[in-house]
Amino acid sequence: MDGHGSFRLEARGVRKSFGGVEVLHGVDLDAVGGSVLALLGENGAGKSTLVKIIAGDYQPDEGALTIAGEQVTSLDPLAARRFGIRMIYQELADAPPLSVAENISLGRWPSRRGVISWGAVRRRAQRVLEQLDVDLDLDAPVGSLRVGERQVVEIARALSDEARCLVLDEPTAALSAPEVERLFAFVRRLRDQGVAIIYITHRLDEVRALADRVTVLRDGDVVLNGASADLDRRALVSAMVGSSVGDVERPEDVHEAERSDTPALRLRDASVTGAFADVDLAVYPGEVLTLYGKLGSGTTEVAAAVYGLRRLSTGTMEIEGRPTTVAGPNEAIRAGIGYLPADRQREGAFMVRSVAENLSAPSWSRLARYGVVITRRLEAVAYRRWHDELSIRSRNDPEQLLATLSGGNQQKVLLGRWLERRSQVLVLVEPTRGVDVGARQEIYRSIRALASQGVGVLVSTSDYEEVVQVSDRAAVMARGRIVARLAGDDITTARLTQEAGG
Amino acid sequence: MSDITGSVAPAAGGPAAPPTDMAAPQARLRKRRQVPELAALVVVLLLLCAFFSIRSEFFLNWDNWLNILVAVSITGIIAAPATMLIIAGQFDLSVGSALTFCGIVMAYTAERQGILVALLVTILAGLLIGALNGFLVTVVGVNALITTLGTLAAFAGLARLIADGQTLILDDFGTLGTTRIFLRIPIGVLIFLAVVLLFYLAMRYTVFGRSMYAIGSNPVAARLSGIRSNRLIFIAFLLSGLCVTLGALINVSQLGAASTLAGNGLELSVVTAVILGGASLAGGRGTILGTMLGLLIIGVLNNGLVLMNIDAFWQDVARGTLLILAVSFDQLRLRLGSR
Repeated sequence: MDGHGSFRLEARGVRKSFGGVEVLHGVDLDAVGGSVLALLGENGAGKSTLVKIIAGDYQPDEGALTIAGEQVTSLDPLAARRFGIRMIYQELADAPPLSVAENISLGRWPSRRGVISWGAVRRRAQRVLEQLDVDLDLDAPVGSLRVGERQVVEIARALSDEARCLVLDEPTAALSAPEVERLFAFVRRLRDQGVAIIYITHRLDEVRALADRVTVLRDGDVVLNGASADLDRRALVSAMVGSSVGDVERPEDVHEAERSDTPALRLRDASVTGAFADVDLAVYPGEVLTLYGKLGSGTTEVAAAVYGLRRLSTGTMEIEGRPTTVAGPNEAIRAGIGYLPADRQREGAFMVRSVAENLSAPSWSRLARYGVVITRRLEAVAYRRWHDELSIRSRNDPEQLLATLSGGNQQKVLLGRWLERRSQVLVLVEPTRGVDVGARQEIYRSIRALASQGVGVLVSTSDYEEVVQVSDRAAVMARGRIVARLAGDDITTARLTQEAGG
Repeated sequence: MSDITGSVAPAAGGPAAPPTDMAAPQARLRKRRQVPELAALVVVLLLLCAFFSIRSEFFLNWDNWLNILVAVSITGIIAAPATMLIIAGQFDLSVGSALTFCGIVMAYTAERQGILVALLVTILAGLLIGALNGFLVTVVGVNALITTLGTLAAFAGLARLIADGQTLILDDFGTLGTTRIFLRIPIGVLIFLAVVLLFYLAMRYTVFGRSMYAIGSNPVAARLSGIRSNRLIFIAFLLSGLCVTLGALINVSQLGAASTLAGNGLELSVVTAVILGGASLAGGRGTILGTMLGLLIIGVLNNGLVLMNIDAFWQDVARGTLLILAVSFDQLRLRLGSR
């Protein structure tokens, strides 16, 4: 494989600390032209830090980089560019109102004496899109494209000048299945053109589909390094998760709830056109049912439909045995449903308002005297009710601004919101996304505490560890349908990834 | 290599400190955040007062203070709902021409149909403007700034059309403007104080007020928390229209006439007071009390400049400067807040 491309990037013994905590403990990495290296690891394993060092965003504390035979002592983003290293980050970094052609030349306008040559902008875009073999309207504003297409534009931008090493950071996170296929086709084509590709992921199926070699990081160490053909799924999982699988062990208090006869929430043959179909599920009071599936599998849409954010096209919903239709959040809340959105900052939190207000927002009408008069004191009552229960770490001041709490504690406040509202059904979407590892465990505890209060909890997630740690029962979704139902000890990471399909 | 963070101790539980066991009951209500913001305004106000009372012997007279209150009362009646709108992340620029329009409608109808019918029609007109703004913002989905910029222009034009560009005289409608009940306080000022009190209570002690803060702080989260944002914003624009009507009535009553220039630049004074009073243009923060302090600062400044015989044009300069200073403070506070 070495003869294929002359480009070679070697990292040796790279160490990096942040604020006294070492996140990379001397890591080696090799990226070779004409080959795809999968960089694998759980969240927080150090993948992003490592590639940021390669892109010149961070300086390593120790260790050496050799790029194309040149020993590099300090690498800044500009130097990394000169070496032909290109990053595609997880979040799109494009300019939505500008056209495809303009985005491809963004920041590197071909110009003569300060005047942009639009002809050259178009020619460059045309050339690189041809090279990628995609057909996009050069004049379409990027904002009008689908996410997958926008990602292609970003790749095109990265390749529009001599790229020799392309780093993709979990590029499929927001893509649908066919878009993923197309992306893979690009990556293979680039590899065949001699580009060195570093592909970051935590999905095993992608490794098998794409990678020539695999490097697995765990807690800042390389724990596995080899040709992907030699490694089976088992080996990769145990490398990622570690021998101490204590992290993903099911907690002891997980149990199949004693079922009352009527489920708190029941969906019968529910469908939303274009999102999911024939979903049948029941969540009983006191249990946690997770809907696991990869992005685009339909789990978030089911959650949204329960909360009235999407209208069921067929099927029915029952809350505590009563047929219920909800046309929006307000009606859903009245019906006894609570909802924790995936994007806490954008959709859940009132950052510039107090913790007490955030906790009591959906309950104001009930807390208020005569349904109208609400005081800070009444809100503080709600605050005190749940502050200790959920072990929210704050200054113990109801008036403290939510923004001053850590992500995990903000999440607990938003959970407490529905405890205060006494919702019988709670729908949680990706409850620990963007929450650091330590706080994650506490949130799981909070969720279990919620269930033990008799709430029926439906969790929609794409994180299989989460499923293992929090659920009594699990349903696996793929392509808009429930493809498997697991309970008790059958809920393992292996079963989940297997059922969710590649 | 990995002897520090090996698999022995899962990093997960490591940094987690034990939950705070501080007793909940000790959490007394502390107003530490609100006080400093308002305290700065109080200090500025007191400094201005001190300065002007040294420079002019008339400044501290009760009659002069009544002058200041009369001068700010109409702006204040409108600034109260404007504060509410800005807290909810909305904006009403149309207040100036809406006030002109309502005044003209009042005088025009009174001349033809009598005072009572005119009152009714005027109140309807004010509500209509509010409803139109609210409809465009909540149903059609036009940005509030653009909507009210549009209605600002449109109703200024309509007012001039109805009045044919003339000032309309309205004779027997002096009650609101000139009657004094006690301490020689004109009714208009009492109405102003009542409106402010109502909005103060609404914003501080009602679910409606809390919802306004929530909507301004995060519209998506507000909707997901079950707040019927569109309905409430519509109501807020209606209230703004209603208060504008009230202001217009007091204005024509004071002048005994309706001018097509009555509300010129009113939106600037209102926004200046609201922003100076600490409301954030980003929404979610602000208080009626703060707005009133902002209003008084502007009132005292204008009054003091007059007493010192400084050219009236300087008042505009001072007001504009104050607005910029206030917004700069707002930005600074946001930046510090995001730390």
